[in-house]
Amino acid sequence: MKQIMSGPLLALLALAMAGPAQAQERVFPFEYERLELENGFTAYLVQGGAPGIISHVNMVRTGSRDEVEPGRSGFAHFFEHMMFRGTERYPNYDEVTASMGAARNAFTSNDMTVYYLTLSNEYLEQVIDLEADRFQNLSYGEDVFRTEAGAILGEFQQGRLSPFRFLDEAVRAVAWEAHTYGHTTIGLEPDIRAMPEMYEYSLDFYRRHYRPENVVLVLAGDFDVERAKSLIREHYGDWAPGYVAPDIPVEPEQTAPRDSTLVYPGRTLPILSINYKAPAWSATDTVAVALEVLGQAAFGQNAEVNRRLTLQERRVQYLSPGFGLARDPSLVTLTTMVSDPADVDAVRSEILEEVGRVRDELVDEATLEAVKSNMKYGFLMGLEEAQGIAFSLISVVINTGTLEAVEDYFRTLDGVTPEHMREAARRYLVPEGRTIVTMVQAEER
Amino acid sequence: MMRRESMTTGIGLVAGLGLLVGSIAAPPAAAQIGNPADGMGDAPRVITLEEPESPFVAFNIWVRAGSQDDPAGKEGLAALTASMIAGGATESRSYEQIMEALYPMAAGYGQTVDREMTTFTGRVHEDNLEAFYALFRSALLEPAFDPDDFERIKARVMNQLERSRRYSRDEELSKDLLFWMAYEGTPYAHPEDGYVQSVRSITLDDVRAFYRDNYTRDNVVVAVGGGYPTGFAERVRADFDRLPAGTVATPPAPRPERPNGIKVLLVETNTDATAISMGFPIELLRDDDDFIALMAANSWFGEHRNSFSHLYQVIREARGMNYGNYSYIEAFPRGYATQQPRVNVARRSQLFEIWIRPIAQTAPGNLHDRSLFATRAALRELDRLVENGMTAEQLEETRSFLRNYAVNWGNTINRRLAYRVDDAFYGIPDPGFLASTRPGLDGLTLDEVNAAIRRHLQAEDLYLVMITQDAEGMKQKLLSGEPTPITYAGAQPEHVLEEDREIASYPLPVTEADITVVRVEDVLEQP
Repeated sequence: MKQIMSGPLLALLALAMAGPAQAQERVFPFEYERLELENGFTAYLVQGGAPGIISHVNMVRTGSRDEVEPGRSGFAHFFEHMMFRGTERYPNYDEVTASMGAARNAFTSNDMTVYYLTLSNEYLEQVIDLEADRFQNLSYGEDVFRTEAGAILGEFQQGRLSPFRFLDEAVRAVAWEAHTYGHTTIGLEPDIRAMPEMYEYSLDFYRRHYRPENVVLVLAGDFDVERAKSLIREHYGDWAPGYVAPDIPVEPEQTAPRDSTLVYPGRTLPILSINYKAPAWSATDTVAVALEVLGQAAFGQNAEVNRRLTLQERRVQYLSPGFGLARDPSLVTLTTMVSDPADVDAVRSEILEEVGRVRDELVDEATLEAVKSNMKYGFLMGLEEAQGIAFSLISVVINTGTLEAVEDYFRTLDGVTPEHMREAARRYLVPEGRTIVTMVQAEER
Repeated sequence: MMRRESMTTGIGLVAGLGLLVGSIAAPPAAAQIGNPADGMGDAPRVITLEEPESPFVAFNIWVRAGSQDDPAGKEGLAALTASMIAGGATESRSYEQIMEALYPMAAGYGQTVDREMTTFTGRVHEDNLEAFYALFRSALLEPAFDPDDFERIKARVMNQLERSRRYSRDEELSKDLLFWMAYEGTPYAHPEDGYVQSVRSITLDDVRAFYRDNYTRDNVVVAVGGGYPTGFAERVRADFDRLPAGTVATPPAPRPERPNGIKVLLVETNTDATAISMGFPIELLRDDDDFIALMAANSWFGEHRNSFSHLYQVIREARGMNYGNYSYIEAFPRGYATQQPRVNVARRSQLFEIWIRPIAQTAPGNLHDRSLFATRAALRELDRLVENGMTAEQLEETRSFLRNYAVNWGNTINRRLAYRVDDAFYGIPDPGFLASTRPGLDGLTLDEVNAAIRRHLQAEDLYLVMITQDAEGMKQKLLSGEPTPITYAGAQPEHVLEEDREIASYPLPVTEADITVVRVEDVLEQP
């Protein structure tokens, strides 16, 4: 595709918009306004989705990446739970949101904690008031804090048996020496079990991270923009700034490949996780975007090596590239489950051989165009309803603090060439930056 | 790896701008269900949900066959057949060629197999409608049933059954085993994926025969929604009329017996947390007069994945015992993976079900005591609901919550269309279940709700499944009838501690004959 978006496509999406379309060359098809308050709080007001529905999504630019103190892994996620424990004005958050019939929840990952409510637009004022209140005036006692720590342990337990949780913990531990990407978002079990004792720390965590400069609101859906702006000013305007950015350790440069074998205590076929140190997400760095494209082009479902191993020779159950980048330099990953434990070394060699090949050879143009088309249609297919629209912007908002970079990103994507992809492979898919973890079950070691 | 459903997809896993799909409400739609045709019983042939302004087109092809139609000894055949159709070659294209063609559209299709129904669904941008439909149509009408695809797909299913289902998510296993207990001796007993040994015995000829016998012209309903062009739905129906004619005999609906007292299945596994499911058969389906009333009561008692749930408030919020506690009046497989109700799992028989998420061992405390405490707490609350009914205030809270919350259940065109398919299954007339929930809730009276509770719910006769360590020790504890108190890491208000004393000694009357102990390796191994 030459254009970022074809004419008919844009016209159709424009139909779904409330209000006049903006500049037609944009990829993100909905009209929006940016509102920045004096305290540093930013809100994007996006018109789109079904009539009568709004989605209020507060994106906090804090995640497990910010857990810099020893013994505090999992704390950003734990704190997400505490945000549902009420304020003096609204002591029972659950009851208030239930009375509005809101579909609401939150999630935490490496770089973010995201709080969302989707509900009828008749509650526009109430939802802005409620959310602004808990972001500024959260209030809970130590007993409630300790009780919630039990729920966290329960959440940890419900996914505890997953081989992927186990593998994720191990890959992070091997690949990182200093950076906080070295631990999982749910946290390590000893830290989770110690959480009931961290009440004072939680108050400090709230004071440091839940500040207007560190939170971006995306309000999407069907609402009166001027009224929403006025309500946002009224309810978020007095929030005192004071965000203290954590001192996140810089990862020393990796200089040699790392290799580790892990024994899974349950049952699984061998899983091979091949990782490379990768750059931070960027909307404008063509080589960084090219690396994301390369993951699909060279290792995705239509790539030669993937078809050969999964379909033609059926030696692996799947081969899955995870080449999405993060706020800080992170890992790109190839994960495969090998059907025959005796075949693990051979599969590994063939994947590494393919990595070597993309450092030397150019990916063909047709493959590149297919990936670009997939990424653009993938983005547009997510824009079906208010919450989907807001969620489609999470990555760009968390990585940059703004929404505008979405257009930069697609412009950069359009400019990616096979040469950029080869350059990305030469720069990042190198043995010195590699971490391989092979996970097997006990008797197959 | 998901079971029972998967996607043939061109949706890449590149993060880029990280697609995270969310939820929202139903726009106005013109829905139409075509006239029943000869040989289709009371089901329509075409279901349409036209939303002319939408840039998306959604498909839902409903085959009126499910795991209840698996031949004895071949349990899992319906699911494997559907996987071959959605995940394999067609007569004109290899599976590789199909994936290559789908990829630039970021579109795909997938299948869901439940007890009674198989559905194939997909969604595409209107720009790519013709190219997508050509692939989707071929998959269903001209499947190649290629031996290499069969080997690949069966190996994947066997891996799931042998290494994953019984070892990686105890809470889902406990639900499978609850249904297995309650429906023993009926075609509903086995999970859609089948048993380890039954799937091992399935051949490609079995798959071909299942397709031939069940994928007939009159056993398939076509549903199309979104912004499709004029005449398109009729064209799709005409294409599917190329399927051969054939009569499919549907097994009679199961009529499971309510157990006499509490029947317990204890599954021994290596764990430090207990997964708990319990329930009993109810005679209530979505099209019954009592349904909205019991839906409201159940929403108050245990709304899925929502803190509105009373059970959630009692066990998680007040006591921090686990991650969540919910109840159901309709089947809800894989509830851990979604916050929204499942679609296209319509059934002619349902259980009332309570799901207690894993109870962890914490210091101080004993895992069995804590697990039984949570079980007792849930049953005590159920007992109180049956005994006292809901209060007027509780009903108003629920009405206020549910009349807005339920709007989210139809947030995408795929889901709205799937609800229309379920309407057809249950024979629910226009405007359909989704559109009827709000007026239904608005018209409910407290007497109706409490009468429905008394008619359908009780807390004495039920099946109870626990997946835990030292199952024999758990059995002895249950038989002893001793109270199972809990302790806390922090202080608790006196009213909670007072209630705890009542919960800890809430009666769980069982005898040795009521309790079965099995090893996890032995469950769902063979019919």
